[in-house]
Amino acid sequence: MTNITRRHFGIMAGASLSTLGLPILSAPALAQGKPRVVIIGGGPGGATAARYIAKESNGAIDVTLIEPLKTFTTCFFSNLYVGGFRDYKSLTHNYDKVRKGDVKVVHSMAASIDRDKKQVVLAGGGKVPYDRLLVAPGIDIRFDSVPGYSEKAAEVMPHAWKPGAQTQLLVRKLNALKDGDQIVMIAPPNPYRCPPGPYERVSMFAHVLKKKGFKKSRIVILDPKPTFSKQAVFSEGWEKHYPGIIEWQDPKIHGGIKGVDAKTGEVKTDFTNYKPALVNVIPAQHAGKIARDAGLTNQTGYCPIDAASMKSTVDPNIFIVGDASIAGEMPKSAFSANSQAKVAAMVIRAELTKSRAFPARYSNTCWSLIAPDDDVKVGASYEPVDGAIKASSTFVSQRNESADLRKQNYKESVDWYKGITADIFG
Amino acid sequence: MALGLLAPVAQSADVEYGRYLSSECTTCHGASKADSTIPNIHGLGESHIAEVIKAYRTKALPNPVMQTIAARLGDDEIAALAAYFATAKRPK
Ligand SMILES: Cc1cc2nc3c(=O)[nH]c(=O)nc-3n(C[C@H](O)[C@H](O)[C@H](O)COP(=O)(O)OP(=O)(O)OC[C@H]3O[C@@H](n4cnc5c(N)ncnc54)[C@H](O)[C@@H]3O)c2cc1C
Ligand code: HEC
Repeated sequence: MTNITRRHFGIMAGASLSTLGLPILSAPALAQGKPRVVIIGGGPGGATAARYIAKESNGAIDVTLIEPLKTFTTCFFSNLYVGGFRDYKSLTHNYDKVRKGDVKVVHSMAASIDRDKKQVVLAGGGKVPYDRLLVAPGIDIRFDSVPGYSEKAAEVMPHAWKPGAQTQLLVRKLNALKDGDQIVMIAPPNPYRCPPGPYERVSMFAHVLKKKGFKKSRIVILDPKPTFSKQAVFSEGWEKHYPGIIEWQDPKIHGGIKGVDAKTGEVKTDFTNYKPALVNVIPAQHAGKIARDAGLTNQTGYCPIDAASMKSTVDPNIFIVGDASIAGEMPKSAFSANSQAKVAAMVIRAELTKSRAFPARYSNTCWSLIAPDDDVKVGASYEPVDGAIKASSTFVSQRNESADLRKQNYKESVDWYKGITADIFG
Repeated sequence: MALGLLAPVAQSADVEYGRYLSSECTTCHGASKADSTIPNIHGLGESHIAEVIKAYRTKALPNPVMQTIAARLGDDEIAALAAYFATAKRPK
């Protein structure tokens, strides 16, 4: 039965093709005719690039996206989940529409890149050949950058700087606090994912404490940096909404962060021993392992790129976008990753289909919520200048802005989230 | 000579370039609803789009997000964007 059906199908297919006078090609032969782009990582950088390459080449390029996760939870807006302004589900997206946009989505981890053979080796052993490869694995946490911290310690002292279980753990711990309990955050050194992120998160901690009516709880930020992003407006907002609750310490004040002890729950600086109920450790970071193992990073731990194309400076067939790249003056943000992906997609499309290329244009805006309806923003346009990505025009929220304006900013950020997630995931 | 005299006065907008430049806009403008603080710009009149962007460029209109975006756009680029968006449909 099976045999007959199969033969029958074969004959039918052959007959119909030859009737039409078309050459009979097997599927793999057809695919070999098209240039192949493989993308590692389905976050803002990788998923945007995949969709834009497929869309702008009108099917002339074979696009494969390799991403182990079936659903992607955004780090951006996760602070709003911490503050109780969003639920977790609203941050989660799937790849159905990416697939519908003519992208093959392979849910697997890329284990290595064979740059000589131009192929990606999957965790299961499968090999995916490419003509151009785009690498967008985001960051890895450098656990050893804070003495005493480790992947195991993160189960007690979450970093929540990668989305998913870590963010949920942080929220559970925050919601379990009692009045009088203390919070300590260890902020990261530059460069790291989302420069205003730690300070927006602290704002959300304070908002939750205030909403619970707590009078005695305090938050200490131990910062390895002497200044931080949007500091003027964050400081103003903290004084206004949470007077006396948040204490920010720069290295001159704490004298140096000596480390943490997950067993005792202690945090030590040169001058003080803390034993808070909630410790949020945000360590130093570097490019995702796959990029480091493939030799795409330099001594900074991130990947050097050509400013006009996002092409790796060590391999002309590889592009790097998003948090893993060294993008000059651009901050590591989802907005930046999305913007860089469009430049890389344009260059890849032009190279592989011999079509028109355009000048690289980048931009970014980061909104941060300080308290309900009090939202601040910072943004810039960027271009390649003398081989590096430089800001050409910039803006940042100012002190003493009207409540209406700050409320408008918040609404804008919510509309931006809708826009960018539709742009990334379809 | 005769051909030169017949050439159009204004160079027509480069819609293909406009399409590429529009990818910057889609990050914010791609999912607008009627009540969005980020308005829909797909299918708006060509001259309206160009005028508004120029007004952001001179800071005659207030939003710093749009002022920063408009600051680096040349007249040709604004024309290219306006021509593209005038006929473009909102991405699905
Ligand atoms: C608390 C917080 C708040 C933030 N707020 C904002 C904000 O308001 N605005 C903003 O623009 N940005 C914000 N960000 C930053 C933003 O989340 C990141 O910059 C952005 O996610 C970077 O995108 P990416 O594509 O480079 O990497 P990622 O988002 O990390 O995506 C990388 C993907 O690659 C996959 N991957 C990794 N290795 C492999 C492999 N070997 N094989 C296959 N797949 C692999 C991962 O599973 C992941 O899905 C925030 C970040 C945090 C932590
Ligand atoms: C970072 C988000 C963001 C990006 C990117 C962005 N815009 Fe806007 N745009 C806005 C916001 C917010 C407004 C509303 C401004 C206001 O309130 O005055 C706006 C308004 C506009 C308007 C006015 C529409 C009307 O009818 O009043 C036009 C036109 C426009 N944008 C065009 C563009 C173009 C073209 C681009 C790309 C080159 C772009 N925008 C990129 C956020 C953005």
